[in-house]
Amino acid sequence: MFPINDHVDLLIEVLQRLDARSLGAAACVCRQWCSIVRNDSLWEHLCFRQLSPPPSVGTRSVVLALGGYRRLYMVCVRPVVSRLKAGGVWNQREMELSLSLFCVEYYERLLGGGESPAKSLRFLCNAVNVGV
Amino acid sequence: MGPYDSSISPAAGSSNSSSSACSSSTKPPPPDQMDHLLAGAGYKVRSNDLNQVAERLQHLETVMVKSSPVDISELVNDAVYYNPTDLVSWVDSLLTELNTNVTVPEPVPVNTDLSDLHQFPSDMNVYGSNHAPEMHGEFSQQAVTPLEEDISIRLVHVLMTCAEAVQRGDLPLASLLIDDLQALLGRVNSGCGIGKVGSFFVDALSQRVVNSPQNGVVQVELSAYENEILYHHYYEACPYLKFAHFTANQAILEAFDGQDCVHVIDFNLMQGLQWPALIQALALRPGGQPLLRLTGIGPPSNDGRDSLREIGLKLAELARSVNVRFAFRGVAASRLDDVKPWMLQVSPKEAVAVNSIMQLHKLLGPGGPHGPPIDLVLDWIRDLNPRILMVVEQESNHNQPEFLDRFTESLYYYSTMFDSLDACTAQPEKSLSELYIQREICNVVCCEGSARVERHEPLVRWRGRLTSAGFAPLHLGSNAFKQARMLLTLFSAEGYSVEENEGCLTLGWHSRSLIAASAWQSIPKPSPATTGG
Repeated sequence: MFPINDHVDLLIEVLQRLDARSLGAAACVCRQWCSIVRNDSLWEHLCFRQLSPPPSVGTRSVVLALGGYRRLYMVCVRPVVSRLKAGGVWNQREMELSLSLFCVEYYERLLGGGESPAKSLRFLCNAVNVGV
Repeated sequence: MGPYDSSISPAAGSSNSSSSACSSSTKPPPPDQMDHLLAGAGYKVRSNDLNQVAERLQHLETVMVKSSPVDISELVNDAVYYNPTDLVSWVDSLLTELNTNVTVPEPVPVNTDLSDLHQFPSDMNVYGSNHAPEMHGEFSQQAVTPLEEDISIRLVHVLMTCAEAVQRGDLPLASLLIDDLQALLGRVNSGCGIGKVGSFFVDALSQRVVNSPQNGVVQVELSAYENEILYHHYYEACPYLKFAHFTANQAILEAFDGQDCVHVIDFNLMQGLQWPALIQALALRPGGQPLLRLTGIGPPSNDGRDSLREIGLKLAELARSVNVRFAFRGVAASRLDDVKPWMLQVSPKEAVAVNSIMQLHKLLGPGGPHGPPIDLVLDWIRDLNPRILMVVEQESNHNQPEFLDRFTESLYYYSTMFDSLDACTAQPEKSLSELYIQREICNVVCCEGSARVERHEPLVRWRGRLTSAGFAPLHLGSNAFKQARMLLTLFSAEGYSVEENEGCLTLGWHSRSLIAASAWQSIPKPSPATTGG
């Protein structure tokens, strides 16, 4: 049996190819996997792996400043992609919109003085009645 | 029209105890009460008989359509037998003349106790089933019983009649009609549709009638904090403000392309919700980040907080996080025409953007000693030589000189807006948004003169105004349009639509545009050396 836990780089290579749900499941396997999955670079990969052209250089520092890629994915990318696209592949414009919404969410947390969930993004997460 | 007769002629056909769907008071009307709306038109009909009369008129119409021209001409040639003022007997006599064999359907006996409305048979459609459908589409999307539909239509009708009475100065009639309206409101679903928006309009009308019909009331001012709360919830409950912000930001971003020093002047800072997205977009700008200056204009604080400064600090913190060089300045002014250009400290080297989200219409009120406020402000905006003037306004004409026209237009506008708000289920966002809109309604209906600030005008008028003030239109471009459409797809409610209109974008609910966004650049004034001679 191959001790995958001893080869973290290989493990990350595998995890990078998973979707968010599987990543969540993977985080429950053991403590080591959990800490690896929480690594933001995995989520960065998840956010942008199908984006062409890849995001600009400054994007990472902006995203990290606003709360990180995992938060970006959970709060903006996942709802936006699920609403706008069936295939999960998304384009530059959708990415820019997600980033803007992410920034608004960060600002609302600033205004609210804490970790209270930004309300203006609630519409992104509610059950919808679109006739898609 | 004829005065009331002191004697009341009995109805030709004996009516059984059919109660009227159009009774105008909360208690069952006394049997000989005349319907006063018809009385105003010169007809005497007892409220109790209205059902019957309506049915018989319908029947008469059917018979006349089917009759041969000979029969009708006989009727026409004879002198008038009966006084049409007494509508009931007049209809019956005509029916008899036409020798109809068809029996008039007996009215279904119903409970006269109006408090048990649910016992009223829902298929008893008093005025027939072909009501004006074009009104119905404007109001509640929910399925309504035919009875509710009738009451809704009557509600609108009485609202208009009341507004017309107010315009004429006929206060006794207006008060009477307001009592009618309160009663009608008690019988519709006040949670949505015409019931909800209708109640706001009835409220506003009654305030106006009670307090000061000609001069209008002065609205109670809210504290800056309260205003911000209402605004924030309105921002969250529906997409109008988000659409405004995102569209404006896209246009400003494009106007600032290639500029290293940029200065945005916001005519109504509130909580600065528009600016984080712009700051973030500038942070990721391909050509590199500019130095961003933001000047936020807002009302002086009346509750001890310096909210302009607080917002400036928060925005600065965000800008610092994403590494954008940022400077903020707050300008406190209760009216835009109190702002003087030197307060904005615009430097000639920077690219200026002026951002007005639903503020310019407030300047359309009566002018001061120096002229109409709108002209003064547009003049100094032009002096700043902005690369872009972004204007977002409500798409409706609530500034017409006649009260009734304003009232009618705003009734349809806000009904549509409330319809769109029905899609939002989050609380307290929804209720507080309704309160926000209610204040607008109150201002349009109750206030006059300088107190009436919600003087919305449609895009065509703003185009004319801005063009004659020396501005040229800037097309908003496909990026803004696509972004707006994407934003709307994220809102779950179907029904919103973005449209492009000669380079401007409008956001509407179904086929009705509610908000219009347009961009302008100033045409430099001719220098003195080149003119005259």
